[in-house]
Amino acid sequence: MKGAVIGIAGSSQDGITAFGDALIDALALEGYFAILSGRSGDPVRGGEASCRIRFGTTPVLNSGGVLDLAIVLDWKDFSLLSGELSVGPETVVVHDGKQGSGAAALPSAGVRPAATVPVPISEIAARSGGESLAKDGVVLGLVVAWLGLPKRRMLACISRRYRSKGKTALTAFRRAFLAGVEFADQHPLARDLSIDPSPARGAGRRVADGNEMCARAALFAGCKFFAAYPIAPAGGITQFLQRDIWKHGGTFLAAEDEIAAAAAAVGASYAGVKSMTATSGPGFSLQTEVLGLASAVELPLVCVNVQRGGPATGMPTTQEQADLFAAVFSAHGDNVRPVLAPTSVADTFDVTVEAFNIAEHYQTPVIVLTDRDLALSKAVLEPINPSQFNIIDRLEPTKAELRKYARFQLTDAGISPISRPGMRGGSYLAAGMEHDERGTPTTSGEIHARMTRKRLNKLNPLKARRDLFLFEGDPDAHIGLVSWGNVSGIVREAVRMARAKGIKVKLLVPRLLYPVAEVVYEDFFASLRRCVVVEQSHQGQLHRLLKMWTTPPREYMSVSKSGANRISPHEVVKLIQAMEQPATERFRTHYCDLLNVI
Amino acid sequence: MISLGPDQRTPAKVYSNDVKPKWCPGCGDFGALSAIYKALAAVGRPPHEIAFVSGVGCSGRIPEYTSAYGFNSLAGRALPIAQGIKMARPELLVLAAGGDADGFSVGGGHISHAIRRNPDLTYMVMDNQVMGSAGGQPSPTAPCGSSAPGSACPSMAAPINPVLYALAYGAHFVAQGIAGDPEGLAKLIEEAIRFPGFAFINIQSPCAAFGTPNMKASTPRTAVRKLGAEGHNPANRLMAIELAEAFGSIVYTGVFYRNPNPPPTFGSLIAALQKGSAIKDADAIA
Repeated sequence: MKGAVIGIAGSSQDGITAFGDALIDALALEGYFAILSGRSGDPVRGGEASCRIRFGTTPVLNSGGVLDLAIVLDWKDFSLLSGELSVGPETVVVHDGKQGSGAAALPSAGVRPAATVPVPISEIAARSGGESLAKDGVVLGLVVAWLGLPKRRMLACISRRYRSKGKTALTAFRRAFLAGVEFADQHPLARDLSIDPSPARGAGRRVADGNEMCARAALFAGCKFFAAYPIAPAGGITQFLQRDIWKHGGTFLAAEDEIAAAAAAVGASYAGVKSMTATSGPGFSLQTEVLGLASAVELPLVCVNVQRGGPATGMPTTQEQADLFAAVFSAHGDNVRPVLAPTSVADTFDVTVEAFNIAEHYQTPVIVLTDRDLALSKAVLEPINPSQFNIIDRLEPTKAELRKYARFQLTDAGISPISRPGMRGGSYLAAGMEHDERGTPTTSGEIHARMTRKRLNKLNPLKARRDLFLFEGDPDAHIGLVSWGNVSGIVREAVRMARAKGIKVKLLVPRLLYPVAEVVYEDFFASLRRCVVVEQSHQGQLHRLLKMWTTPPREYMSVSKSGANRISPHEVVKLIQAMEQPATERFRTHYCDLLNVI
Repeated sequence: MISLGPDQRTPAKVYSNDVKPKWCPGCGDFGALSAIYKALAAVGRPPHEIAFVSGVGCSGRIPEYTSAYGFNSLAGRALPIAQGIKMARPELLVLAAGGDADGFSVGGGHISHAIRRNPDLTYMVMDNQVMGSAGGQPSPTAPCGSSAPGSACPSMAAPINPVLYALAYGAHFVAQGIAGDPEGLAKLIEEAIRFPGFAFINIQSPCAAFGTPNMKASTPRTAVRKLGAEGHNPANRLMAIELAEAFGSIVYTGVFYRNPNPPPTFGSLIAALQKGSAIKDADAIA
């Protein structure tokens, strides 16, 4: 096989996170591409935990659908996480022999897996080290052997991660791993899961999650101020920056709330440094007033919203893409601020750098909408070539301009040179009140209209940024899809699968969500008779947003599921097949049946 | 500590500009503004090295009337913005000003955290017990039961005691002045600016439009007492707290508390973490 999807579920004390982290590191070094995603309960209080890892010899676009290998340490935990770990007829289910066969617990009733294999995992673990903690070692041994991965190299790499736990634990772990390998060698599976060797070793590649890539991108772009209040799932960005930003000569503020975080970031930007804040839905809601201030006083600011299930506290540990309306509309007054969304873990880097560039160039807050799956999924990433990025800094006034300085001077592009405290001659009032070109507050309707036009029109060139869109497929196809964020990785794979079946279809993935780039969509829609927007929100927020600004094809529909309900590539392939149906009524029937959409 | 500019005799008018203040005749903020000019002149930093942040409301307009870099921001958010500025550019002189509702209602949650961090900035609250620009509603420093022209019902909550509040959270410099004595107030502001750390000054700045007669500039002088004349030792925090309890009956002016051994500022902790940092931006992907 060219790749496989492995899933594991058990208690959060079973070392499941360690299993996933160790496996993806070893696979990366071996030269495979992979995506690792997981859910974990509290390591102290306990609770269910799972991870799924998809890997292969070619780049992996998403964490996949049905599992090839399911490892069950506990049936109860496994059934709780059935949404993450789907079992199909091709799945080999391996379970801890201490437990029964668990046929009743198999998530999808009526699904008969390819094989159900009991393995005395707890027993082998206890024998190896006398500690239940060595279960992850046994499982890693089983996986490496059954998938035909190079045992010695994998063990050497994995052992490095366990070295910090001390000699006894390391010895127990190695013994458990080898015992797992031995068991697997003696018990070949009914379905062969051997993976092709990787074409080359993966030196130079990095394993990182979206949060880390966002934080690295901020530092790379020159961010010198970061403020945040702890919130899931944005915590990884803060953890990285609060450790590293000092080394770059920057500062971090552990703010008392998200309002203070955004406000302090605006203050730092006023003082002339690139600044960022990161949060999730509830914190983003709090920050909207400050974002409006940044728009009014035309200060660069990057605000990252790692979307999670909402509204209110919602589902902090699950995926959703339902903050698009909030990002676009949650500000009072006539206001536009750019909204960007990365499409993969790797793209989180590029999009965050782009967010800083746009913020600095256009003197505006920029919202980066990532999502829980992108933020917390780890991926094997190619090395970044720094020379492919052009870092933009804000336009500062010249000495001559400072002699007669007007901070909000009306210019053709709507962008005025921006001074900062410390610059002689550059003093001005940054006023949240409407103001004239010099910054003096005003109640004049005429000035208000002029300044509003300045703030909105300056962003128009963004709408011509075709490089902020990904395009895939047949340009003259009659059927097409639009998708964004993490889900776009699933749709991209589905489009490739459909095209491999001979279906003519195309896909547009906006990384710039707002302002809506009308011309880009017009071009895309031109050949289309049917278009479906695939996303993860109940309302189908991008679908509705595009209706406001563009003229979509006559048959324009939304396929959207609310968060935490996975959309699989196979589902989207079925959708594309339904879209091919010539008669509209037949398409509608298929479409509704397949995706339970109303 | 703020270093002195080369010319210690900078005239106060260097810090004013040509914008005519939009305040009612008799507003206490005129006195506060002139005290700020004088204090800045005494400190002597050039205006372009000063960042002056405010929230909204009548006193939120103070930065607009200075030649410093001003930021007239949002209701209640002056302190986090000021802290962001100071963290990004520690060499700047950073001031924050606003009204009592701005500071103790909408932005109330920020004061305690600014005190905890102890950034080297000065925060001035114009306390007039009323929300002037909102139309005369009782502010959080208004006595319970007091009425205000813009509110159909009286204040139904006990007032916040600003000086006691700042002392209780552990501010290392706490003072109170009155707008009616710009000379004395200027000295307090100057001292606050020179103090190495977070300095809080409550300024009784009466509202000419909505204040009750008792609050207006004509406040009976008998109710105002100078802490210096009372023999108060500003190094004595417990005595400062006791004196602050006179809130509502006596307006003490002067320094309530000045920590004789100021702890490290937030800025010095930041500098320690940044020490030896020489990493290039591009190293973020190394």
